[in-house]
Amino acid sequence: MHKDRLNNLFESFDPAIRNIVLGVLDIEQEHISMEKPRVKDHINDIISVAAKKEVEKLAEEECS
Amino acid sequence: MKLERITIENFRQYFGKQRVDFAKDEQKRVTVIHGINGAGKTSFFLAINWCLYGKGVDNVKVIDNVGELMSKEAAYQAVAGETVRTSVDLSFLHNGERYLVRRVLQGIKQEDGTVRVEDSDSFTMMRTKADGQAERINNPVGTMNSILPVNVREYFLFDGEKIDNFAKPEAASQVKQAIYLVLKLEILERSRRHLEAVAADYRKELKNKSGQELRELLEQEEKARAEIKKVKERTFELNQEKESAENKVADIDKRLREMENTNTLQQQRDRIERELKQRRTEMEEVVSIVRDLATSGYFVVAQPAIKKAILLLEGKRARGEIPSNFRQQFIKDLLDKMICVCGRPFADGSEEHRALLAKISHGLPDALQDEALNTCAVLQAFEQRTEKNKVDVDSAMRRRAELVDIIRSLEAELDDVSRQLKGSPLEEISKLERNREAFQADIQDFMLEKGTLKEREDKFAKQIVDLKKEIDRARREEKREVLLSTKLDLAQRAADAIGEMYQTFADDMREKIQEKTKEIFKKLIWKESHFQDVKLGQDFNLEVIDRYGYSARPELSAGERQVLSLSFIMAMSRTSDDEAPLVMDTPFGRLSSNHRNAIAEHLPVLADQLVLFVTDEELRDEARQNLESRIGAEYRLEFSPRTSCTEIVEVR
Repeated sequence: MHKDRLNNLFESFDPAIRNIVLGVLDIEQEHISMEKPRVKDHINDIISVAAKKEVEKLAEEECS
Repeated sequence: MKLERITIENFRQYFGKQRVDFAKDEQKRVTVIHGINGAGKTSFFLAINWCLYGKGVDNVKVIDNVGELMSKEAAYQAVAGETVRTSVDLSFLHNGERYLVRRVLQGIKQEDGTVRVEDSDSFTMMRTKADGQAERINNPVGTMNSILPVNVREYFLFDGEKIDNFAKPEAASQVKQAIYLVLKLEILERSRRHLEAVAADYRKELKNKSGQELRELLEQEEKARAEIKKVKERTFELNQEKESAENKVADIDKRLREMENTNTLQQQRDRIERELKQRRTEMEEVVSIVRDLATSGYFVVAQPAIKKAILLLEGKRARGEIPSNFRQQFIKDLLDKMICVCGRPFADGSEEHRALLAKISHGLPDALQDEALNTCAVLQAFEQRTEKNKVDVDSAMRRRAELVDIIRSLEAELDDVSRQLKGSPLEEISKLERNREAFQADIQDFMLEKGTLKEREDKFAKQIVDLKKEIDRARREEKREVLLSTKLDLAQRAADAIGEMYQTFADDMREKIQEKTKEIFKKLIWKESHFQDVKLGQDFNLEVIDRYGYSARPELSAGERQVLSLSFIMAMSRTSDDEAPLVMDTPFGRLSSNHRNAIAEHLPVLADQLVLFVTDEELRDEARQNLESRIGAEYRLEFSPRTSCTEIVEVR
């Protein structure tokens, strides 16, 4: 699968970054037929979820 | 994506419902649909495209300039007012799931014979999972974009005669566009661009926030708390000093009580002080009562209005308007029956009639009468309360004035006692009293300072309460700031990651396509020894190199260009690894037999599924033999000149 190849392409990156990239690629794929797709909100949602996890992880690391 | 079945209903020359099952086995994966020119091959091809994408998706046109989609025969046979329906159902498999897409266009037959077609068609997509459960997909366009996007469609569903475009010298941008779309470079590029834009938004938002605020607020809170601590320490000191001074006064009083010359005066002072204390307590109580009466005396202000309202309502009662002698309903009943109170009938416009009408117009409705009577009682209670309030306030104020006089008189008596003691000829007594006076003055000073300190403490305590609210808000803001800063970091790193990998991926894909195009081209072209190499340059120019090392593309024949384009499309399809059918309309039109034979031999192996729309002349002899073992389904399109309709006949 071509998608697997893209997954592998970002394998060496931080999992948070990889998940964002793959999530954004899916969103872009869904909107590929549009010349000017409105995807900012979708991308923001993906990044917000990842950022919350990062902040929580950081807080836990500081506590321990 | 693997096509399973198509059902066409009243689409162009296909009248009624007709069905085709596509070959999709591993071994027999080719479906051949024969038809002479005008039999309906292109209409069938259009039906597949229309079903999946309609006339177009967003800015991409799929069906343009092809006339009516609705079957003219179906429109002709319908009676006026009847609904004419055109539909195409297509089922296919994708990633282990079965999809059914349906597009329907409806119209109403008019009296003049035309059909008023609805403005838009309806598109539905269902998905059947492995457990057999079917679900409707809410975002069919987005899902189609994930399976086979409309702008990628033309590389998988195409007119064989027009594909030589890729091999034309001026086609570099088209080749680039095809690679971008099919190999998802376009998606990578868009993702990077949009992530950059989102990161820029975060950066802008972050610039407008200040991280200093929370630190400043916490410093202010710390200062306020330090001030309160200082105030409390000073208050403690003052209490100790005051206690010490009070003890000293008590000692002096004791001494004066014990001395014979001062005993009477001291006892007099003890009595005056007791009474003074009592009166001062009483004074505090009276002041408190006055304060309470004043705050609850708002209705005193409304007294003139209350009085006026009571007068108005009492006047109405006095005149017998409320409550009236007769209920309104009773008078209405008499008017309806046109009879007098005494039971005698009266005529319209008679004196009795006018009298009853007057009672109705001047009287009040029954419910309002009750309300007015209740209001009157409530207002009278208010007036009584106002009077009592005035009496209570007057009495409390009088007592306050009396107490002021009493306290003043007692203080004067105390001064007199003190003066007598200070003026004593005995030095010890005079000194004791002066000391007592000094200690009393100290106590008063302490009390004053304590009062000031209390005010200061209250001020800082209030400041701390306000600061706490501000600090909570700033903390929430800072948390948001931390989150925003993390979002910025992630968005930028994700955009950078794509940027970093993009060129590597693009170069890798270009080289793979180059190798694959060369491999397929060599298999399909009959002059394979003449053509040494196929190159796809950095500028995405598709080039063929001949045995002398020269560029051979300008010299390629139309057939050779078609073979090169087909090789390129197949190479992209193989490189993308996405399972997709190859649906070709008249694929062999311009090709000579040697190219047809080679394509018929190799194409079924290169494509996961092949659907060929061919004329009888296109597929015969060796080409037919080469394809034979791979054909899993075969249909013939039979056009009837009598009905102008095409029937799909299953051949195998």
